Amino acid sequence: MILRADEVRKDFPRAGKSSNYFTAVYPLDFVLESGQFTVITGKSGSGKSTLLNMLAGMLTPSGGKVFLDDKDIYSLDEKTLARLRNEKIGLIPQGHTALLSLTVLENVLLPYILYNKAQPPEKKAKDLLDQVGIASLMEARPNELSGGELRRMAIARAMLMEPSILLADEPTAGLDSENTIAVLSLLRQAADEGAAVLVVTHENEADHFTDHVLTMDGGRLKG
Amino acid sequence: MISLKNLPYKNLKGYAGRTAALLLFSMLMALATFGGTMVISGIRAGLNKVESRFGADIMVTPEDAKNDFDAQNVLLKAEPGYFYMEKGKMDEIAKVDGIEKMSAQLFMASAKAGCCSAKVQMIAYDPATDFTIQPWIADTYTDGPMGLMDVVVGSNVTVYDNHIIRFYDNDCRIIGQFAPTGSTLDNCVYMNYDTVKVLIKASFKKGLNQYSEYDPDDVISAVMIKVRPGADIEKVAGDITKQVDGVSVATSKNMVAGIGDSLKKISGSVSFFTVTFWLIGTLMTILIFAMMINERKREFASLWAMGASRKIISDLVIREAVVVNLAGGILGIVLSALILFMFKDLIGQVLGVGFLIPGPVTIILLAGAALLSVLLAAAISAWIGVRRISRMDASLVLKEGQ
Repeated sequence: MILRADEVRKDFPRAGKSSNYFTAVYPLDFVLESGQFTVITGKSGSGKSTLLNMLAGMLTPSGGKVFLDDKDIYSLDEKTLARLRNEKIGLIPQGHTALLSLTVLENVLLPYILYNKAQPPEKKAKDLLDQVGIASLMEARPNELSGGELRRMAIARAMLMEPSILLADEPTAGLDSENTIAVLSLLRQAADEGAAVLVVTHENEADHFTDHVLTMDGGRLKG
Repeated sequence: MISLKNLPYKNLKGYAGRTAALLLFSMLMALATFGGTMVISGIRAGLNKVESRFGADIMVTPEDAKNDFDAQNVLLKAEPGYFYMEKGKMDEIAKVDGIEKMSAQLFMASAKAGCCSAKVQMIAYDPATDFTIQPWIADTYTDGPMGLMDVVVGSNVTVYDNHIIRFYDNDCRIIGQFAPTGSTLDNCVYMNYDTVKVLIKASFKKGLNQYSEYDPDDVISAVMIKVRPGADIEKVAGDITKQVDGVSVATSKNMVAGIGDSLKKISGSVSFFTVTFWLIGTLMTILIFAMMINERKREFASLWAMGASRKIISDLVIREAVVVNLAGGILGIVLSALILFMFKDLIGQVLGVGFLIPGPVTIILLAGAALLSVLLAAAISAWIGVRRISRMDASLVLKEGQ
C-alpha cells in the first residue's frame, strides 16, 4: 500500500484578519511505501505535524491531493474517510489521547468497537499492551498512568486494527531512553511486517531505526 | 466488555460529578413541570368534581344564615353549621317561573362533645324529590333506598371497622363513602329526613342545638333548584330574591367562583414557576454540556483520529444527554408523584382550593409531557454540543494542550 501526497499545501488564516493567511506547508510531494520506516525531523512549527495530519485524512489540504494507493482520500465523503482511517491508518497523535472514563485495555479496544458489534479482540489488545510493556496496567485508569505509559497505550491502540499505514506524531516525546527504544523498536517491527510507518519528531533518536530521514523546515520538505 | 452501545454509560459513570449535576437539573426540571401541571390539573379536577357533585343550579338558604353561609367559600372553607327556615318557603319558591326541579335539604352539625364520633356537617335530603345526592349515592351504595339511621359519608370522614358513626348518642350505620371532591363536601355525612330528625331531637334533649324552638318537621335549611333547560339561571335566582322574602340565593356559578378565581391565580403562579424552573434547568444543562464538550474535546478528537465518523461522535453525545436526562426526568417525576400523593391534603390546604389527584390517564399524559420537556432540554444541549464538536478542528485540538 502506498500513501502519496501530490503538491499538498496548507494555509491557515491569521487570527483576526480573514483575508490574511500564512502557509504552514508549501506545496510538496511525498511517498510512503509498505515496509518502509520514514522519519521527518524538524523544529517545532516547521509544519511536520500539519503534513502528518493531512496524510492521515485529518486535515484537508489547501491545495494538492493525498492518495492511498490510487484513491484520493479527500474526494471521499466524511463517513467513508472515517472508516478508511479506522481500517487502514493507525494514527498516534501528540500528547494524551485516552478516554478517561475507560480502562487502559478498553482504550486500546476503542478502534475496534467503532464499527464492529462482535466481541472485541481482547487477547490481541493484551498482547499489544504486553509488547509495549504496560500489560500490568491494563485495568488501570488513564489518570493513573505516566506520560510515557499513556504514549505506549496510544501506540498499542493505533496498532490494534493492524493498519497498513502507521503515522506517529512525536511518539517518543517525554520518554526515557529505555522507553524510547521500546517504542521505536515496535514501530520498526510494524514496518518489517509490512506497514508503511511515518514518524515526525524534533529529536533524532529515531535515526537508527529508519529507512529514510527527511527534514522539514519552514513548511518545506528536504531530502 | 466495552461496546459502542455501552460507551455513553461508561462516560457518564467516568464523569460522576458532571453526571450528578445533569441528573439533578433534569430531575428538578421534571419535578417542576410534572408537579406544576399535576397541581393545575388537580385543582381543575377538584373544581369539576365539586361542580358536578353540587348538582344544583341555585341554592336558597335563609337570609339570616348569612353569618353561617358564605356562598363563595362554603365549598372550600365552611365550618360545619346549620340554619333553618319555614317549610312553607318551598311553596313560595315553586311559584317562580323557570324551575324544573327543587328539593329541600335539612342541615345539622355534630358536636365536638363525647356524644359524637366527629364534628361533621350533616345533610339530609328528601328521597322523593332529591336530585343532587341520590345520583352519587348510587355510585357507592346500590342496595335500595337508605333506611333509618343509615348514612353515606364524605371521603374525609373516618370509617371504622364496625361501620358505625355516633351522633348525639345515636349509632348510625355507614353504608357507603363518596370519592374525594377536594371540597368541604368531603367532610359531610348524608342521610334521609327521618334520620336527621331523630338526631335533631336528640341534640335538643342534650341542649346542644341553638334552634330548640323549632319543630324539625316544619323546617328546612336549603332548597336546591335545577332550572328548566334554556332558562337563565341568573334571572331565576333574581326572581326568587324578588318574590320570596327572607331568603338568600346563590347560584352554582357563585358557589364555585371562589375556586375558579383561586384556580386562575394558582395556575398563573404555578405556570410561571414551572416555566422558570424549566428555563433555568435547560440553561444549566446547556452550560454543563458546553463545559463537558470543552473538557472532553481531546477525547472527541482522539475518537475522530481512530476513525469515528462525526455521526458516531454525535450519537455518543446525544445518547449521553438522553440517558442522563431521561434518568433525571424519571426520578423527578417519581419524586414529584410521591410528594403529591403523600401530601395531597396538605397541598389543598396550603393552596386554599380543592385538590384532587388526576386520573391515571391524565397522570400518564402529564408524565409523558414532563419527560418530553426534559428531553427537549437534552436535545437542545446535545445539539449545541454536537455543533461545537462538528466545528472543531480535531488535528488542531490534538496539537494543543498536550
